[in-house]
Amino acid sequence: PAASFLAEPVSSLAAAYGSSLASQGRDIVDRNIDRLVPVGRLKYYFAVDTVYVGKKLGLLVFPFMHQDWQVRYQQDAPVAPRFDVNAPDLYIPVMAFITYILVAGLALGTQNRFSPDSLGLQASSALAWLIVEVLAVLLSLYLVTVSTDLTTVDLVAFSGYKYVGMIIGLVSGLLFGKTGYYAVLGWCCFSIFVFMIRTLRLKLLSEAAAEGVLVRGARNQLRMYLTVAIAAAQPLLMYWLTWHLLR
Amino acid sequence: MSNFEQYYSDFYQSNYTIDNQEEGYSSYGSNENLFACSCRSPPGEQPQASAFLPSETLLSSQNYYTGQILQPTYSPNTLSYIGYGDGFDEEPPLLEELGINFDHIWQKTLTVLNPMKPADGSIMNETDLTGPMVFCLALGATLLLAGKVHFGYVYGMSAIGCLAMHALLNLMSITGVSHGCVASVLGYCLLPMVILSGSAVVFSLQGTLGTLLALLIVGWCSLSASKIFTSALAMEGQQLLIAYPCALLYGLFALLTVF
Repeated sequence: PAASFLAEPVSSLAAAYGSSLASQGRDIVDRNIDRLVPVGRLKYYFAVDTVYVGKKLGLLVFPFMHQDWQVRYQQDAPVAPRFDVNAPDLYIPVMAFITYILVAGLALGTQNRFSPDSLGLQASSALAWLIVEVLAVLLSLYLVTVSTDLTTVDLVAFSGYKYVGMIIGLVSGLLFGKTGYYAVLGWCCFSIFVFMIRTLRLKLLSEAAAEGVLVRGARNQLRMYLTVAIAAAQPLLMYWLTWHLLR
Repeated sequence: MSNFEQYYSDFYQSNYTIDNQEEGYSSYGSNENLFACSCRSPPGEQPQASAFLPSETLLSSQNYYTGQILQPTYSPNTLSYIGYGDGFDEEPPLLEELGINFDHIWQKTLTVLNPMKPADGSIMNETDLTGPMVFCLALGATLLLAGKVHFGYVYGMSAIGCLAMHALLNLMSITGVSHGCVASVLGYCLLPMVILSGSAVVFSLQGTLGTLLALLIVGWCSLSASKIFTSALAMEGQQLLIAYPCALLYGLFALLTVF
């Protein structure tokens, strides 16, 4: 009978109702998170392992010996980064961004210019430049009407790879002074430039041009200029975001 | 609060294969697959968890329980649980009711203290926050002994670190994790940091020796944490990748301790 049920475990009913409200709230959050942030797609970019990260970091610093830059596909879907060193991932950019903020704090600290506010300032300005760069690349891809399978997350990943070079430059600047900083940063800028050109070439240009055959035509030239512009923006941003930390 | 019922059910229900209850648990996080803990609970207590669940499943319109509330499955023991003070002798011991299991806490501490020994994947199934709370308080206390009142920073950084590691682990692993499990593992692996701040009381850490010791302790903490995470979540080839963000987090704690 319902009456006796209500009369007895009143406190347990209250506890159960409270916990059910909480779990309902969590269900709502989970469902809506899936609409804002495509968690399933993001999981692809984090399917990495240690070997991949090691090889990718090596590629970012020394891309000159690598021959095959084509991303391997498996039934229309790109293979996970774990199995193909050419696939973009998000683990390295996210870790590099966080490490950059920490190393920036360290650099400011050794020059006695540190305060928690300045750390927040560094973080937000780096994030703002990242967003601006991704939006600019998206806009220019739209204007040039290039049909490519580059997604926004891919662009974020590519823009995040330069933080690795920035960290190496900053650390060498802290250890070896200005000359170390300029030398190492110059090397990292050049290697990121080559890395971006070789990676984007396959994604933006038409098949024939990507293989090195000179294809004349206004469209292809425009795409080539776009690729070079995106690649050239990387060293500029790398320099801009680090030089004020080592004054 | 939903952690509360998961907590309760994790602690008491691990050994029993009551079919209704296992179906009901399938919607509550990922811990239900990994029940292997050997907690001792007296056999008379199983129905009490069902007293909490049926009303909420009625409210959430998932009919795993078909009106079990109205069936006379209540034994006199369960009524005493709900606090009607009937059977004082039948109440469980206080520690068990609070969910503090000293044996498990000690086992987990030993696992942390020996980073080279391979960990058992099932020990982290119960989200036990007692040990981590004790270690955080111990860290704050040893920092206080060294003259730094940084309780707020410790709690703040551990909260943000737990959120960030939870997000990263959910993205990197195939099975997900719950916040409680992440908080529990990160809190247990804070123990070597307590040792570091204890030694900061005795001698200053701002020299080469102090920096080396801090780096060693940070490495120890992050190796332990990544070892437990990779064995509990069955991630192969990713231990160093998990160790790096843990090292960043524990490095922040080390900065707090040293400077």
